[in-house]
Amino acid sequence: MLRGLSSAVRRGPKLYAGRFLHITARICLNATVTQDVQIPEEKPRAIFRTSERDPANHTEQHDGQHYSIPLEEVKVVFPHGLPRRFKQQIGTFREACLMVRKPALELLGYLKSTNFAQPAIRYVLYGERGTGKTMTLCYAVHYCVKQGWVVLHIPDAHLLVKNCKELLKSSYKKERFDQPLEASSWLKNFKTSNEHLLREIKTQQKYVWNKWDSTEEGTPLSEMLEQGITRVKTATDVMGVVFKELKRQSSLGSFKLLVAVDGVNALWGRTALRKRDKTFISPEELALVHNLRKMVMNDWSGGAIVTTVCQTGSVYKPYAAYLPHELLGSEGFSTLEPFLPIQVAKYTEKEFESCYQYYLDSKWLQHEKEKPPTNNR
Amino acid sequence: MAVTVTSFCAAGSYAWAMLPRLRGAWTLALLQSAANSTAVPQNRSESGGTHWRRREVPRHNRLLGIPRTKKMPVDQDWSNVYPVAASFKPSVVPLPIRMGYPMKKRAPPSKEGNLELIKIPNFLHLTPGAVKKHCAALKNFCTVWPTALDSDEKCEQHFPVEIDTVDYVSAGPSIRNPKARVVTLRVKLSKLNLDDHAKKKLIKLVGERYSKDTDILTITTDRCPLRRQNYDYGIYLLTVLYHESWKTEKWESEKTDADMEEYIWENTCSQKNVLDTLLRIKAAEKISDVPREELLASEIVENYKNSVVLLKNEGETEDNMSKYKESVKKLLNLQGFQ
Repeated sequence: MLRGLSSAVRRGPKLYAGRFLHITARICLNATVTQDVQIPEEKPRAIFRTSERDPANHTEQHDGQHYSIPLEEVKVVFPHGLPRRFKQQIGTFREACLMVRKPALELLGYLKSTNFAQPAIRYVLYGERGTGKTMTLCYAVHYCVKQGWVVLHIPDAHLLVKNCKELLKSSYKKERFDQPLEASSWLKNFKTSNEHLLREIKTQQKYVWNKWDSTEEGTPLSEMLEQGITRVKTATDVMGVVFKELKRQSSLGSFKLLVAVDGVNALWGRTALRKRDKTFISPEELALVHNLRKMVMNDWSGGAIVTTVCQTGSVYKPYAAYLPHELLGSEGFSTLEPFLPIQVAKYTEKEFESCYQYYLDSKWLQHEKEKPPTNNR
Repeated sequence: MAVTVTSFCAAGSYAWAMLPRLRGAWTLALLQSAANSTAVPQNRSESGGTHWRRREVPRHNRLLGIPRTKKMPVDQDWSNVYPVAASFKPSVVPLPIRMGYPMKKRAPPSKEGNLELIKIPNFLHLTPGAVKKHCAALKNFCTVWPTALDSDEKCEQHFPVEIDTVDYVSAGPSIRNPKARVVTLRVKLSKLNLDDHAKKKLIKLVGERYSKDTDILTITTDRCPLRRQNYDYGIYLLTVLYHESWKTEKWESEKTDADMEEYIWENTCSQKNVLDTLLRIKAAEKISDVPREELLASEIVENYKNSVVLLKNEGETEDNMSKYKESVKKLLNLQGFQ
């Protein structure tokens, strides 16, 4: 090997630096090859993937790497809540890969060190559009589900204040409005993700629905959910009951509760819904919004509240707004404070490289001269 | 010398051009000179007219035709030539000015008989020397600047209200200009004796006329026809504003949060929230009742209060948000991530 190198050195002045290095490298490789019998060809290391599937074990060294969630788990953990484009990506690539990013790791750090005896802390994720707030929220939801928390995930609070096909007058409070369709679909999804935990939680109060119907004390919450799903008219009130019971009982310490609300600024803005006399409905006149507002107060303990403020899909908010105070308004800000704001920024160089490598690897990005992938999946 | 030559040539050609028309004048002059002067050779031309040869024109006739520009000494006093506003006289202004659009392959027309030069206003009567003479004459009517007011700060201190007026001159027969009636009063609010409520009320009353950066209230009046009247009106406005801002009306107690000029943290729901949170935290830690004042006075609450006030008063920026985040972390005693 040395002789080879020395001959290359003698030839050095005739060649320019790049070629010289290349030749020496080749010489070294040839030399090693002749020495050893055979070295298997090394695949380029996939630095954008990590095999660690549990978010609890992610550390700073996993920053920028993708971890995959098995598809069956996705159906259970995220019946609703993943952004539409990500769901399309799961369908195309046939795997669900989330990137581990710094804001998510920061949030997880806080969640891990929560003191469950103290009142629930509010975390608000904010950032410009398309930076990954919803994905960070989903990451936190995945962590909590893995840890066995009860997860109350509202996929998009903006859907509650606009495009409602049916608005019923609430039977519980006269001036409020029910939204049975939204409530029943949410209850279905909530049941999918938390059924096994809800069987243990029992109501602590008797609820009277009407003259003939009431729910006794001690019924498991899963039964209440069934009732809400089958009898759609009572779905909103069932949701209210579920919220109340979970809030009350998590303070006792039997389970941990995560309230995850995407687009929490919808709770304090304006609605796009009108009453029969064409005046706008204010958010507190909607029973769902009223109950959700109570959920994000910090007068309970034994869990955490993670929210995002989002302009996309918001009603009557300017396009360029992304900071918490301008999206929440003074009313929302005063209700949510003191909250911890966490900024989600655009991809850094490292994250961009990782995402790019992932797309290249899954053949999503291709060179025009490249041959189409063979069907060996 | 060149100037005189050109002017003489010009005069000569002018004279020759104008000769047929001035024949009457010339013959009169000739008769007069014939009476006084010695015999001069006369030429009889074929046409029958008599004319003087240029070099044989009698001297006092030459003097009659010579323009004043040639008789001017260089060190003369110009204000004697143009003591008042007058139109341009080419024979008096010793400058070879040309003005107007030139004909093909010619220079612009010269100053003799140039209507363009006569039409336009000129300030030949207002040369620096003439102005100096005016000032010297006016000085007898002026008083001396007070020696005690030798710096700007002293002027501001003794005369806080500054009046701005504008006088307009134009080259026309009239000295009147309707724009001259505008009067602007400027005063710094720090010089007025206002307490907190009075100052806020005054700022609300004047609106756009107050500049926050320089703390100057500017009142511009032009609704009266005369400057004196506008000045009086401006002083009256200032007086009324001052007295009204000191009064407190009954309806001022209905001032809402939206009317507030700046965010004050005391007695807001923000303070209440923070106190409630802290009390709950203390209750969770099983610490006995901590008095509210002690909680309010603690450093973390001060820190939080400052960050919230900054956020609300200065608007929201990423900087302010990160400061707020730090203060909340300290308040809720959160540890950073791993």
